[in-house]
Amino acid sequence: MTIVIETKDLCRYFGDSEETMVKAADHVNIEIEKGEFTAIIGPSGSGKTTVLHLMGGLDNPTSGEVELSGKNIAKMSGGELCDLRRDHIGFIFQSYNLIPVLSAEENIEYIMLLQGVKTSERKKRVKEMLALVGLSGLENRRPGKLSGGQQQRVAIARAMASRPDIILADEPTANLDSKTGIALLDVMKELNEAHDMTFVFSTHDEKIMSRASRLIHMRDGKVELDERK
Amino acid sequence: MLLIKLAFRNIFRQRRRSLLTALSLTGGYVLSVFSISMQDGSYANAIAFFTEDHSGHVQIHKDDYLDRAKIHKTIDNPNAIATILDKHPSIASYTTRVFAPALSYSDDGNTPVQLIGVDVLREKQTSRLYQKITDGNYFADSPNDDGYFSAMIGAGVANSLEVGLGDELILISQGADGSIANDIFIVSAIVGENNSPDKNTVFLPLSGAQSFLTMYGKVHQFSILLTDISDAREVATELQSSIPSLSVAPWQVVESSFYKTMQADREGNLVMLVIIGIIVFIGVLNTVLMSVLERSREFGVLKAMGSRPSKIVSMITLEVTMLSAMSIVLGLALAIPLTYWFSTAGIELPEPVDVGGIKMSRMTGLLTPTVFIIPMIGIFFAAIVVSIFPGLRAANVTPTAAMRSH
Repeated sequence: MTIVIETKDLCRYFGDSEETMVKAADHVNIEIEKGEFTAIIGPSGSGKTTVLHLMGGLDNPTSGEVELSGKNIAKMSGGELCDLRRDHIGFIFQSYNLIPVLSAEENIEYIMLLQGVKTSERKKRVKEMLALVGLSGLENRRPGKLSGGQQQRVAIARAMASRPDIILADEPTANLDSKTGIALLDVMKELNEAHDMTFVFSTHDEKIMSRASRLIHMRDGKVELDERK
Repeated sequence: MLLIKLAFRNIFRQRRRSLLTALSLTGGYVLSVFSISMQDGSYANAIAFFTEDHSGHVQIHKDDYLDRAKIHKTIDNPNAIATILDKHPSIASYTTRVFAPALSYSDDGNTPVQLIGVDVLREKQTSRLYQKITDGNYFADSPNDDGYFSAMIGAGVANSLEVGLGDELILISQGADGSIANDIFIVSAIVGENNSPDKNTVFLPLSGAQSFLTMYGKVHQFSILLTDISDAREVATELQSSIPSLSVAPWQVVESSFYKTMQADREGNLVMLVIIGIIVFIGVLNTVLMSVLERSREFGVLKAMGSRPSKIVSMITLEVTMLSAMSIVLGLALAIPLTYWFSTAGIELPEPVDVGGIKMSRMTGLLTPTVFIIPMIGIFFAAIVVSIFPGLRAANVTPTAAMRSH
């Protein structure tokens, strides 16, 4: 199997002195293979979000390595990390984080604009993505006119539109009711199966984690258990 | 297109705030346009007055006559010069003049005067001497039946000597050959008023003046009017190369003290405009900074998605530039009719001002593309400069920290 992302002895410590230091990620070693649908689970403060941020190049590790498709992203410059996130990583955030002044389709289109995708291709992909997440017909609505579940579907479509190697989702269902959250996970699972898209998401919701094909348990910044179903 | 749409919508997110900012930019633009129009209009009027009144746009003299006028520094071959001038396409008209100091006498007294001999026909086409006659008639080129040439005298001379139309005026001066020149002239016209610059001047027909000063066929000055005053320096340079033995000077050199004062005043006005601009743009900076701080989370998201910092800076710059463009459109809608009115109707002065013997009762502005373009360039340049600091602030947000903010 192809390894998409791999962390080697990944550490992220906050604080200056021994007494106040928080080890948000402590010698984390994870390998994510292409097409996996992985949940990082654990209680609040276990280090799930920190590991996702480190994997996505949103934060710099204290020590250790993150390899995306064989490249160590921990040593990349700010500009290189921007390009890496733009072309290789899709993000889904807990609070959707759509641009409020852009419509659903414009939010999806924006990342392709950054990539330099031609207008006709962008329009085509936007249509496809909206259909995939079941939002056809709502393309002109701005985030304020969409429900939480619909906004998160737009966020999934936005993450997919750039055709990344991996999609990292930080508590994607935390702001949704359980029914909408499960429905959203089902959409992600369908995309994972139909398009062989690699997903890594964090959650502490047991109903959600049951949908994952692999569970990485974290506690106090360490991987406690890594189980494949 | 999407970036423009995004910038446009971001501007209209806080409509009231954007409107107030736009209005301050519009106000600054209209004020700048009006100020430049008024200043350039005033100077254009003043330049037109003195160049068309007496100096012309270009002058030709012998050697350093312009700085140190001496009666013997004459142009000895005016006909050859005239042939060159007649062929030049940029020259509308020209005239020749002689100058000398003199003492004037009448039965009731004497007074020193500036004597100017002018080409009777050409002077009419080149200066406003004819229009400045307040009483009497423009003089003839030839002497009357009694052999006397006519003279047009300044109002000051007329009052000092208590002479009027048809009276005799005796002039005494030194001829170019060193002889004593004296002759009788008949007053044909009074020029200007008591407070005019010409008040102590006596104008004679060129041939009469040449004969009086024993400088037959010679002149001191060619005064040239061009079809376009802005060509003055260029035409002067061309003529100088054609006539290397003489000194050719544009009006900026002839009236150098006025020109230097005008340039200094323009620089002073520019400083004022820059100060107005700084005040306006401090307000704009405040607005943009507020907007950037409010949208920190979005900039964090954009960076997380892969927007490079330069892209975010250019996005902020685009927003400020578009706001400036909208303000300028509004400003143009106000400034064009205002400047048009100012350049045509103008402002009536409470007291008419005498400029070179011409009554100026109205202040008018200048309506040229430059008047609108200079403040426009200034506003766009300032908009770009002002957007850099907030842009850098937005570009340097840390995605994880920014996305935690509300």
